[in-house]
Amino acid sequence: MRIACPFCGPRENGEFTYLGDAKPKRPALEAGEEAYYEYVYLRDNVAGEMDEFWYHGAGCRSWIKVRRNTVTHEISSVEPAAGAGAAKVAS
Amino acid sequence: MVELSWTETTPLSRIYRAGSHGAKTQAAGLSLAELSGFELVQTMARRGQWSATDQACREAYGKPAPARPQAVKAEGALLIWSGPDQFLVLSPRAGGSAGMDRARLAFAGMASLSEQSDARSLIRVSGSRARDMLAKVCSLDLHSAVFPEWSAAATSIDHTAVNLWRGEDDAGGAVFHLLIFATFAESLWHTLLDSGAEYGIAIDAPAAWQQ
Repeated sequence: MRIACPFCGPRENGEFTYLGDAKPKRPALEAGEEAYYEYVYLRDNVAGEMDEFWYHGAGCRSWIKVRRNTVTHEISSVEPAAGAGAAKVAS
Repeated sequence: MVELSWTETTPLSRIYRAGSHGAKTQAAGLSLAELSGFELVQTMARRGQWSATDQACREAYGKPAPARPQAVKAEGALLIWSGPDQFLVLSPRAGGSAGMDRARLAFAGMASLSEQSDARSLIRVSGSRARDMLAKVCSLDLHSAVFPEWSAAATSIDHTAVNLWRGEDDAGGAVFHLLIFATFAESLWHTLLDSGAEYGIAIDAPAAWQQ
């Protein structure tokens, strides 16, 4: 599997580390135990497309968001995670 | 009181043996050299300060800051992309800390700087089989069609972080430069020697980096 880093271009997946589902959003402080339990522990087990965070640790050290099909490994989009360097690399 | 004296050394000087290595070919397929005598400054634009950093770079170094993976020949320095919003400033060591002082003046308040001159080893890889040797240890496609002169990349070789760029071609073809952490240099050097042995290696005398 290769991932097209938005900053570096296509790289082998060995350069990346997998974090997991990009969907969970940290609840508000006062959201309560249930909301935090879900945020910390509960994950969907998606068969199909999902958004994931990957870290390009052996390259430009940026966090990226990858839309990957967990059945076929087909990657349909890659974008910088919020706060990762510039929004886009100049072409 | 004991007299303290400093001996100038390089990350590879303990194991470096200039001369031929590996297969006894008619002409060495590969040339390796450790380059020293440089100053190196890691420059990281602060959040929202990329445009200002780029502008400052144009004023101080006469070229835009590299915004994509390439090495840019600027005035008295080579600017090497190392990640989004960050790049390395490589300049010849002229005694003292002229390179760092220059960067500090240029980027005050907009970018964070980290002095790396003695933290990295710089290795030049050239010769007609340079790309064949690198293909064994590096997963990047270094063919001219996708990695022309002055391309740069942040990648890993043998699990070691490497800043790699291609300089100006010489008579033997492509010339690559590898910038690696000083403490990993010996290990990586052995890997390069092993990978290139079959092509015959000419290990050049250590030299000063020149732009």
